[in-house]
Amino acid sequence: MTAPNVRFSDERLANGLRLIISEDHLAPVVAVNVWYNVGSKHEVPGKTGFAHLFEHVMFQGSKHVAKAEHMSLVQGAGGTMNGTTWLDRTNYFETMPSHQLELALWLEADRMGTLLDALNQENLDNQRSVVKNEKRSSYDNRPYGAWFHKLQEHLFPPDHPYHHSTIGSMEDLDAASLEDVAAFFRTYYAPNNAVLSVVGDVDPAQARAWVERYFGQIPANRAIPPLGDMSLPPVIGSESRELVEDRVPLTRHFFGFRAPRMGDRRFDALEVAAQILAGGKGSRLHRRLVRDEHIAQDVGFFSLGLIGGASIMAGQVTVIPGVDPALVERVFEEELERLGREPVTDDELARARALIETYELEALQRVDERADRLSMYATLLDDPGMINRQLDRYLSVTAADIQAAAAEVLRPDNRAVVTYEPADDTTTGDAGEETAA
Amino acid sequence: MTLEEILSVRPEPGQPRTYTFPSFTRTVLPSGMQVLVVQIPGRPLVSANLIVRRGASDEPADLAGATVLMARAMTEGTERYPGVELIEAAERLGATLGVDANWDGFVASVDVAASRLPAALALLAELVEHPTFPEADVARLREERLNDLLQVKADPRRRVDQAFTSTIYAAGSPYGRPAAGDEQTVPGLTPDALRRVHRTIQDPSRTALVVGGDITAADVLRAIGASVDLVPTPANLPADPSVGAPTVASGVDHPIVRFYHRPGAVQTELRIGHVGLPRRTPDFYAVQVMGAILGGLFNSRLQMNLREDKGYTYGIGAGFDMRRAAGPFSVRTAVQTPATVPSISETLSELRRIRETEVTPAELAAARDYLIGVFPLRFETPGAVVGALGGLYVQGLPDDELTRYRAAVDAVSVADVHKAARDHIHIDRLAIVAVGDFDTVGADLEAAGFGELEVIREELPTEIAEGGEVDE
Repeated sequence: MTAPNVRFSDERLANGLRLIISEDHLAPVVAVNVWYNVGSKHEVPGKTGFAHLFEHVMFQGSKHVAKAEHMSLVQGAGGTMNGTTWLDRTNYFETMPSHQLELALWLEADRMGTLLDALNQENLDNQRSVVKNEKRSSYDNRPYGAWFHKLQEHLFPPDHPYHHSTIGSMEDLDAASLEDVAAFFRTYYAPNNAVLSVVGDVDPAQARAWVERYFGQIPANRAIPPLGDMSLPPVIGSESRELVEDRVPLTRHFFGFRAPRMGDRRFDALEVAAQILAGGKGSRLHRRLVRDEHIAQDVGFFSLGLIGGASIMAGQVTVIPGVDPALVERVFEEELERLGREPVTDDELARARALIETYELEALQRVDERADRLSMYATLLDDPGMINRQLDRYLSVTAADIQAAAAEVLRPDNRAVVTYEPADDTTTGDAGEETAA
Repeated sequence: MTLEEILSVRPEPGQPRTYTFPSFTRTVLPSGMQVLVVQIPGRPLVSANLIVRRGASDEPADLAGATVLMARAMTEGTERYPGVELIEAAERLGATLGVDANWDGFVASVDVAASRLPAALALLAELVEHPTFPEADVARLREERLNDLLQVKADPRRRVDQAFTSTIYAAGSPYGRPAAGDEQTVPGLTPDALRRVHRTIQDPSRTALVVGGDITAADVLRAIGASVDLVPTPANLPADPSVGAPTVASGVDHPIVRFYHRPGAVQTELRIGHVGLPRRTPDFYAVQVMGAILGGLFNSRLQMNLREDKGYTYGIGAGFDMRRAAGPFSVRTAVQTPATVPSISETLSELRRIRETEVTPAELAAARDYLIGVFPLRFETPGAVVGALGGLYVQGLPDDELTRYRAAVDAVSVADVHKAARDHIHIDRLAIVAVGDFDTVGADLEAAGFGELEVIREELPTEIAEGGEVDE
């Protein structure tokens, strides 16, 4: 198959806005994608959930755009849009018919340049209520809903910025004031803290001129406070466990491991390992736990790439009623530890590579995905060219690489295990899965 | 110019590029099976869907869930590839295989590089034609489904979905039961039962292979070993009247409230609606536009009221799920517990308003422009195009349905929307189905008098576990 060949330009406006343009005229569609280098890791104690609440405020209007008008303008133009908040960043994106590109650029510029002109208490209170309902609906009123937040608490020490969830706590959401919101905007929503990617059916010279026109005069913030040192010991040091009694019918174990940062070769190896462990019916965990020993209802194992101190490798297994949960946990862990003891077979590696190649090419067919990845690699790794090299990095992972990375990471003293078991009393909590507006 | 001068002027759209839905060809094989091919240049991957016009609504009630379980069991082994060998063979090709069934049809699909399409299609054929349904694996899949039903009960949103459909349809309507079967029918889904259903999908006259990507019809015909004498023709067939539909009926003839009590729930999951419309309704386009205004657009009436004004919910949507027969019309949301009664009131008032008064020209334009404008975005990849063509085949719609979609939406008027709302939203037989904390909201709910109230205090599976019925 052909390797990805996404051609793009990469430049900075005088105010520091990083602009990436990639031309592709296959479909009459263009994607606009802005990544701000601010996420829940920038929140301080007492203000959790703030980055995400702010993301909602970004749809409440700016000087020349009324409340909720962002959505009606984009959808009325035949486009789609959303925003999401995660530990490392916040992003905003529109996919438009290509003749509506200028509208999307103007909308993004207006809120980057003039959001505070429209900010008011009524809109903040309304979105606070919406976000609290998002928390109830995505985490509190959902079986196993708080699992990821619990893993975060085990994998990162209390003073670490990854310790708390992206959705935040109800108390902190209640405490957010207009002044907090304004200060957050002035600090982080500056052009020199953002990457703007424009991908698709676009004339690059025209797009560049529009970006210069709408964004060029938005002032930079030359005093963005640097994040503190987020480095961590590579291994937790001892196993961490929690038993949660919840309104769930089946016992489920969640596993978390501290892993190398995104961009580290060992992280690539672990992503390939995840495919071999749990990527479909041919994978090791599915085969052994679900199919052969028939002790699990379902299994999962996947990576969550982060750049501050450590990434996360996470897994889950749902125990079949009547089976000893301890046995299921043991077998699951045995399979992870086996990866560190002996090399995967040539056939397993070949199958994983072939599938990863298809998944990558499938994802890169869409302009919105390409724009998101360009913004991501530029924001997190300062290297948008990774969009073309990442597949090769996966395909060059060897059995020895997987064994070494697994031995280093998938070990008992680097593991958190959160077990949900049935109880008639409900405990609720909050977790920070990727949160969309 | 200053930033203010620049930003105070809204940009005008440029000249739209012309867009037409990709044209496709049809070849009818001697067996009667159709091969639809859509050539989409520049894409490295090909999508292929093998579609049979026979789904869960065609199975007998006592075998409910058999079609879905059969689809799941097909990847558990075939005559040539026992166990997971077929999956492994597909993985070696980098082919992602999927097998699924829904109410209307059965689909086996594969995405793969164009150069490996022949090998991938051979695997697809093996999987569809020669599954072995091993006893032990079928037993395991049955158990997985029964365990999943426990999860459905515990998860408020899955519980309310199931309760809503079983409420609105009369007994005997297939759409009222879960497509994957329930506690009564799943235990009876033996390998023999799956084989019986499997024989019914071995029907070339109800089968189409739809392929899209950077390939030609000749490539596809060669790949499946079809005769070189077959000539693909441009697809231009009218609607196919031979597509049948299951018989469905409403189980509700007056407003009702069915509340599933969940002590301590912080939100109430709500579904409000009734039996809706089949896909081949003549009002399809007016209903699409009306649904967008009511609950489809981000700034739909329901969203603007319950989310952006009141803050009762993270999101609320409404729409018609159209199938070969009348699928459900539903308003769907989850609201904070104390807002349960006001949320129902606001929803009902929006349903009445769209029936009683015409939408504004601006609302009509917003919905129309969105549906027309977003249409090309929906079909960026071969997978999306193939999926849409498969939908046409399953529903028996004419070949030009997608080509004329945008013009048909454009022709919808304010009066059409009003008529669609009056004709297809039925206030007098709305079912309001909720999963939430009844003890907190019950008194207000009774006072509101939305309809005949029934409260269900069901035991959760966790409580069953404590009672010893499930050995945990």
